[in-house]
Amino acid sequence: MFKKIDLKNRTALVTGAGKGLGRACAIALAEAGAKVIIISRTLSDLMRVEKLIKKTKGSCLKFECDVTNPDQLKNILKKIKRLDILVNNAGNNRPEHFTQVKKENMEYLVELNMKAAFNVAQMCSQKMVELKSRKILGGSIINMSSQLGRVGAPIRSVYNMTKFGLEGLTRGMALELGKYNIRVNTVCPTFVATPMVKEFFKNKKFKQQVLENIPLGRLAEESDVSTAVAFLAANSSNSITGTSFMVDGGWTAK
Amino acid sequence: MPKFLKDINLKGKVAVITGATKGIGRSTAVAMHHVGASIIAIGRNTKELASLKIKLKIRIQCIECDINNYEKISREINKIKKIDILVNNAGTNLPEPFLKVKNSSLETLLNINTKSAFNIAKLCTDKMLKLKNRKKVGGSIIHTSSMFGLVAGPNRTVYSMTKFGIEGLTRGMAVDLAKFNIRVNSVCPTFVATPRAKKYLANKKFNKYALSNIPLGRIATESDVATAITFLSSDASSIITGSSIIIDGGWTAK
Repeated sequence: MFKKIDLKNRTALVTGAGKGLGRACAIALAEAGAKVIIISRTLSDLMRVEKLIKKTKGSCLKFECDVTNPDQLKNILKKIKRLDILVNNAGNNRPEHFTQVKKENMEYLVELNMKAAFNVAQMCSQKMVELKSRKILGGSIINMSSQLGRVGAPIRSVYNMTKFGLEGLTRGMALELGKYNIRVNTVCPTFVATPMVKEFFKNKKFKQQVLENIPLGRLAEESDVSTAVAFLAANSSNSITGTSFMVDGGWTAK
Repeated sequence: MPKFLKDINLKGKVAVITGATKGIGRSTAVAMHHVGASIIAIGRNTKELASLKIKLKIRIQCIECDINNYEKISREINKIKKIDILVNNAGTNLPEPFLKVKNSSLETLLNINTKSAFNIAKLCTDKMLKLKNRKKVGGSIIHTSSMFGLVAGPNRTVYSMTKFGIEGLTRGMAVDLAKFNIRVNSVCPTFVATPRAKKYLANKKFNKYALSNIPLGRIATESDVATAITFLSSDASSIITGSSIIIDGGWTAK
């Protein structure tokens, strides 16, 4: 009656796998038994993640790849036999007040958080449906969203726009890929103790504001998010699609 | 090296489950028992409670009680030594078109799904707070809601009213109880292969309505729901509160 999080014989691709949440997800999926394809722009980061995955006795393949360049991912997908799970994680943030958002920052975030996310999702879905037994085996796509894909926040209008967009993409993909038994969901973390957020937290006032908005009074850990991702990747969540998994300590419950 | 996949382990935890004799409640009792919890099963049916007791053999205590009987249920809950987890699951449905809803149906559903659910949540929370180190060990409350706590369906005005209410209760409790490290979430299943839903689905027209609205093309299983509830009850979800896990095959994504 309890379905274990077990990813044996599953192949998963994780974008932005070099650090932070992507790295945590890659390791968690490997811990659950998946063969993990890790991609990032920075080879030195990938080499470190590979070492960590080998420590868990997991297996992985690494590819240097800029997700904003679709040809690069296309070539990688040609090299792999099959794909069962995608963690569409690569993304970034450039906080600026709405009235002062620089055009190049807006374009950069739309290119990466939306356009590249869409292209990665589409190419990987095409790869996933190639498998004849897909309908029986199922597949799972997890788009890395944010609590800011559900609610607004100061100096995050562009980030909000891209993450709300990803939420919409998730719903639409879930409808169209349901017939192949490919499930599509997001995880929506609150601020997570990643290198990116630790940098923001050097601003004491910002740190205090954030913690005041989280009823549980603490940040999410990388492992909180990677565990939720592993749950959504596995058959443990067999009937869950088109949803958002809130990992936010109660931020959006208010 | 930290683990990025958290274990779902309930050893040493005491879980109260209402409506534990059948369907989702019973499956949850079995799932939680499987990962180490001690189960306190509350239900009305003597025979079914006895058979659950035989199935689980150890770490189970049964309380025969109608949850609408406030005096008795408060006495019984007061007798319990320690509660770490509540699965507030007992509930029912009396589908009727809005224009024909009988006053008696309205009262039955409000009594069980709303008032009793609130009372049980309150009584169990009081007991959970008795533990001195609650803040350290945490606690988890899971309400069995429904996709009809998020969207409407035909002949389900009263059911939707009560389940939307549970969604509101979940958010409010999460905010109020966060400071005690008690997390409160709901699960929102689509139609599940329970004895009750099977009756509805025996009707061909209804069956078609249900399946054509679920992008994954299948109803949920009891273990899909029990697994999600067990995940929410464990420390694997330690930063998740005030949220709903939607187990609906994509119904509400449309």
